[in-house]
Amino acid sequence: MKEKEIAITVNDLHVYYRDMKRFSLKKNGLKGKGSGKIFKAVKGVSFEVPKGQILGICGKNGSGKSTLLRAISGIFSPDHGSINLHGNSISLLSIGVGFQKQLTGYENIYLSGMLLGYTKEEIDSKVKDIIEFSELGEFINRPVRSYSSGMYSKLAFSITAILETDIILIDEVLSVGDIHFKEKSYNKMKELISDSNRTVVIVSHSSKTIEELCDKVIWLHEGLIKEEGNPKKIMAKYEEFMREEG
Amino acid sequence: MKRFINDLKKYKNYILYATWAELKTEVINSYLGWLWMILEPLAFMFIYMFIGTVVFRYKVEYFPIFVFIGLSAWNFFNKMVVASVKLVQMNRDTVTKVYLPKFVLLLVKMGVNGFKMLVSFLLVFIFMIFYKVPITWNVLYFIPILITVILFTFGVCTIVMHLGVFAEDLVNLVNIFLRMLFYMTGVFYDISSRIHNAVYRTLLLDLNPMANFIYNMRNVLLYKSAPVGMWTLLWFFIGLFLCILGIRTIYKYENTYVKVMK
Repeated sequence: MKEKEIAITVNDLHVYYRDMKRFSLKKNGLKGKGSGKIFKAVKGVSFEVPKGQILGICGKNGSGKSTLLRAISGIFSPDHGSINLHGNSISLLSIGVGFQKQLTGYENIYLSGMLLGYTKEEIDSKVKDIIEFSELGEFINRPVRSYSSGMYSKLAFSITAILETDIILIDEVLSVGDIHFKEKSYNKMKELISDSNRTVVIVSHSSKTIEELCDKVIWLHEGLIKEEGNPKKIMAKYEEFMREEG
Repeated sequence: MKRFINDLKKYKNYILYATWAELKTEVINSYLGWLWMILEPLAFMFIYMFIGTVVFRYKVEYFPIFVFIGLSAWNFFNKMVVASVKLVQMNRDTVTKVYLPKFVLLLVKMGVNGFKMLVSFLLVFIFMIFYKVPITWNVLYFIPILITVILFTFGVCTIVMHLGVFAEDLVNLVNIFLRMLFYMTGVFYDISSRIHNAVYRTLLLDLNPMANFIYNMRNVLLYKSAPVGMWTLLWFFIGLFLCILGIRTIYKYENTYVKVMK
């Protein structure tokens, strides 16, 4: 029963935003930590993701999807509850992490890759694939500031897609570049996902994406799990619900 | 602390590469490129030489080098503190998308400004040869003093960076404080010979760490003397303590930084 190995365990997760934001010395003096009201973005979510599963997360705007994803990737700390990654490496697939616009695309691949925790040698071995996949050609040796926004996202996507980790978190980045590249990245996504060792969590509004790619879906509503299970069933319900709301 | 060392190992490559990248970016952005690293302190040196020799008529031996040593160390400290107030916010694109220990940001900045300081001190040595300053073994004390400067600066900056995330107008406060400290540090005058009141002298020379470091750097480099007093050593330990305190605080709160920035 090797398949039952768990990759992510989320246990009773709460993430709050305190409305303290930044306080001004003039307004609050030196002590007041701005005891603003607390906004609860995620309030008590528990689930487990077995290794190799592709989990979709859907929900309307502000339901806590992105917060949940960021908490899993370690950018936020949970205010209550716990997240256990069982020692897997993880990356949040997102656009243009740590780019220096004055530097060339080539140099930015290294900068970005090292930021994600890869060694120079690991990047050396992948850099060719990244450049090829990004279709930037000659532009790879030009400063990133001269790129069009499409080229920029292509490069960013290629870096995170080719530098693989055990767990990949995706926050609706499947719509990158022109139609041609979009299809290509979608297929690459599928390829990455189909690797049975890789665990993937996708946040998306698109029923098509979720139904096509995911094994299981979680429907978040106001920071809580409303329903979870088979993508087809849930997504049908979800669409109906959204139409009624709208 | 163990976590700090592990993280340091893990992000060592990134810190070095990002430092190089930032230096390169600055060079690309300006017409005179790397020349600025030399021109900037030189220009300020001339300004303070004017103030010192023409306005106040100081008679200090090797005055240009005297000023240059002060400026090299002071600029490093000053730039670091100013940069660290807004550091997390400046890197929001990175910080909101990937986890990295926040002190890494600070170390990159240390790398950039530290490199500039080294270039600046290299010029000091060139000046020293040019002016034929007699050199003794005491010059070697320069190295531990420099390490103390770096350690102390890092300690102060960790704490400033942490507070800077939460306090909007810390910038104003820091600017005023730094200006005050600048005049009290004796970058362009000699505290030990200008201030005769014993209380003020201890206050400025021993209890103001930057003045103490700069005073002793000048002593060992220019005036053949060993470091004076135990205060430098004491400040070394205070710096170390600040580093530990700062790193602990950052580790404890760094995951809330992103929530505060919106």
